[in-house]
Amino acid sequence: MWIYDKKLQYPVNIKNPNPAMAKIIITQLGGPDGELAASQRYLSQRYSMPYNEVIGILNDVGTEEMAHMEIVSAIVYQLTRNMTIEQIKESGFDTYFVDHTTGIYPVSAAGVPFSATYFQSKGDAITDINEDLAAEQKARSTYDNILRLSDDPDVMAPIRFLRAREIVHYQRFGDALRVIQDNLDYKNFYAYNPEFDKR
Amino acid sequence: MNNDRAQMLRRLQEADFAMYEAVLYLDGHPTNKMALAFYDKAAKAYCDLKEKYEMTYGPLTIQNASGPSWTWIQGPWPWQNEMEE
Repeated sequence: MWIYDKKLQYPVNIKNPNPAMAKIIITQLGGPDGELAASQRYLSQRYSMPYNEVIGILNDVGTEEMAHMEIVSAIVYQLTRNMTIEQIKESGFDTYFVDHTTGIYPVSAAGVPFSATYFQSKGDAITDINEDLAAEQKARSTYDNILRLSDDPDVMAPIRFLRAREIVHYQRFGDALRVIQDNLDYKNFYAYNPEFDKR
Repeated sequence: MNNDRAQMLRRLQEADFAMYEAVLYLDGHPTNKMALAFYDKAAKAYCDLKEKYEMTYGPLTIQNASGPSWTWIQGPWPWQNEMEE
C-alpha cells in the first residue's frame, strides 16, 4: 500500500499565469509520454517480474512517478490561477476550460484524454525493461521541448528537475536490464521468458 | 511466510486500517474529540507494531531501509505468497 507524503518532491512556485504554457505542460500528466502513464507502466510490470532488484526498481521508480504527476499538476494549477476570460480565449486554453474549468484532468497537449494504450505491460522481462528505457527517453525529449517553448524561470526550474530524473531513471532501468540478462542464458537471452516459462 | 510473521502482519494491517478509518473521518470532522482520541491511540498502536515487525522482518517503508545490506528488495513482496518461497 501507499502512504501520502505531504510535500512536493521539488518545489513549484509560479508567480505569473500562463494558460498557453499550462496547455502544453499538461501533456506530461495525461499525454503519451506523461507521468501517469509512467507510474502505471512500472507499477503494473512489477507483479510478474521474477528478480527482486528489478521489482525494487519498478516499485520505487513507479512510486517516484506518482510524485512527478503531483509536480506537473501543481505547475498546471499555478499557471492557471487568476486568469481573465480574455487570457483564456487568447491563449487557446478555452478548449480545455469549457470541459474542465481550471480543474486538473489528464489529457495530452492536443486535448486527448489519458489512455492505458500509452503503455504496455508485456509480461516479458526484456520486453518490459526495453519499453521502460524508451519511455524515459521519450519523456526526456518532451521536457526538452517544453523547455524550448518556455521562458519563465519559475516554470523551467521544476521542468529541468523532472528532465534530469528521466535520465537517472534511464540509468536505473539500464541496471535492471543488466540484472535480467545476468539471470538468463548468456548464449541466448531469448531462449525463454523468465516471467512465464519454467526452466 | 512463516506463521508468526503472517500473524504479526495481520495485526499490523488491522492497526493500520483502524488508524486510516480515523484519518478519513477526521478529514471531515477535524475537531471531533472522540475521533481525535481514537486516532492518537490507533496511531501509537500502529507505530509500535510497525517498529516491532520491522525489527524482525525488515523494512516496510524506505525510511527504515538502512542496514548492513539493502534488505528493502528482499521478498516476499506484498503480492507474493507461499508459492514463490
